[in-house]
Amino acid sequence: MTPGSPHAASTIPPALLARVAKGEQQALSQLYDLSSTLLFSLALRMLGNREEAAELLQEVYLEIWSKVVRYDIGRGTPIAWLITLTRSRAIDRLRMRGTRTQPTTVHTVNGQTTPPLADHNLPPFEAQADQELRTHVSNTLSALPQAQQQAIELAYYEGLSHAEISARLNQPVEAAKTRIKLGMAKLRESLRHNWVQSERP
Amino acid sequence: MTHQELEDVIPLYAIGTLERAERQAIEAHLLSGCVPCHTALKEYQSVAVMLPFGLNMTAPPRSLKARMMAARSMTVPMEPVDQPAGKPSLEPGEWMNHLFPPETSSRAESFGWTFALVAVALVAGIAYLAWTAYNTKVGEDTVKFTQLQDQLTVDHSKLAAQQQLLNERERTLAETQEELRRQIAAMAELKDQLIQREAELDGVNAQLAQQNTRQRSMPQDELAALLRTPAIKAVALAGTEMSRHASGTLFYDSKAKRVWFYALNLPANSDGTTYQLWAMYEKPTPVGVFQIGTGATSQIFAKPFPAFASAKKFAVSLEPSGGSPEPTGPLYLLSQPLL
Repeated sequence: MTPGSPHAASTIPPALLARVAKGEQQALSQLYDLSSTLLFSLALRMLGNREEAAELLQEVYLEIWSKVVRYDIGRGTPIAWLITLTRSRAIDRLRMRGTRTQPTTVHTVNGQTTPPLADHNLPPFEAQADQELRTHVSNTLSALPQAQQQAIELAYYEGLSHAEISARLNQPVEAAKTRIKLGMAKLRESLRHNWVQSERP
Repeated sequence: MTHQELEDVIPLYAIGTLERAERQAIEAHLLSGCVPCHTALKEYQSVAVMLPFGLNMTAPPRSLKARMMAARSMTVPMEPVDQPAGKPSLEPGEWMNHLFPPETSSRAESFGWTFALVAVALVAGIAYLAWTAYNTKVGEDTVKFTQLQDQLTVDHSKLAAQQQLLNERERTLAETQEELRRQIAAMAELKDQLIQREAELDGVNAQLAQQNTRQRSMPQDELAALLRTPAIKAVALAGTEMSRHASGTLFYDSKAKRVWFYALNLPANSDGTTYQLWAMYEKPTPVGVFQIGTGATSQIFAKPFPAFASAKKFAVSLEPSGGSPEPTGPLYLLSQPLL
């Protein structure tokens, strides 16, 4: 997508999913173009393996294709649905591995990660709305205390329960839970205007 | 478990860290129609789905789209397969299924739905009791302690960031100093090279001057030798009204059948013109051309010239550059008729 494109991953219109539900190949292709970089980045972050992330993404899009008729805008925005589906399937895979090996990722100062096999080609994630949201989320995350960031990332990207997180961080369970709650509350306050905007018609 | 306690763990539910019993307790509470919890959950779920936007973006392999589209064409849209065993992952808006059942559900599905609701409610009731027993004490002190600990972590982070910034600046300064040293060394080397080149240039200039001197002296030496030859004949040319102060002398070496011409005080010829020496027989015959540069007062040149004896006189005219087959310009030097 080009920066001048009317849609970004964060603003995929529900009408596009309706067209996918009608079996329009072009609509599926467009949906892929808009969302694949974000979903692939998420899968890669969670699985830590490029090939497995690609395999997962293919399964996710096939599942979208088969399940799209069940999408209900009342449940959330299209991208929220796609992200939740991708994350759920990635967590399924992590659990099927049996042992939760920590993805071999490099943690940066602000808590973001760089996968070891990162594709250095410019990803088609250039729409202005996406870039602004990306900057905002990155800044908000990096403003959190590191312990809170870490706990949220372990929960979200590795699908760990709070008991597992407390073991991983060598902290009491209540401390781990509190960190997640405090971090999430700060994120909620800081990011609130984003979903208020996205819910506008 | 109170509403407050349940609302407190909604962020954990939204991000998916609760154990099964805890999840079920929350879901049962949501089924009761608690609007504040419903709103809070929706907002926390919105936070959760925004988190991936903060990742470093990586494009998927280029071939993936083609593979996916090809696989899709072989796939018949159908209901999803069962989840793998173990803790089921949270479907998008799964909890909302309970709050907003699909409008188009069939009667059989409605029956199944009702059955599921009852089952979930039962399980949730049991889980609620378990949850209440499990969380009898959520120590406020723990919260305060954690907050203080986090504040300390923030302060430490800030200090570490400042320290890092300072280190960064020190490193940059050191790098700049190193770069400056390199530049000075490079400049010194360039200066040495320049001095060397200047020395080489002086050498070349000296050689060039020597060669020029040699070249210039050669005809003069030859002329000196020529003048000492008994077989030499000389013809004087005088300036015409075009150049009253000019003069020329022509020497003929009858042995070598070669003519030497020496011109003096001729005006410099302009660009695109040349002086031309003529031997006058029945009609003028060109002998050779020569240039008088700006500031020069004399010129000397030698040419093979076999037919001196039959020449009646000699003349120099100004001709277009390269010379002419017969005189076309004004005469500047002219000899007396030869006997």
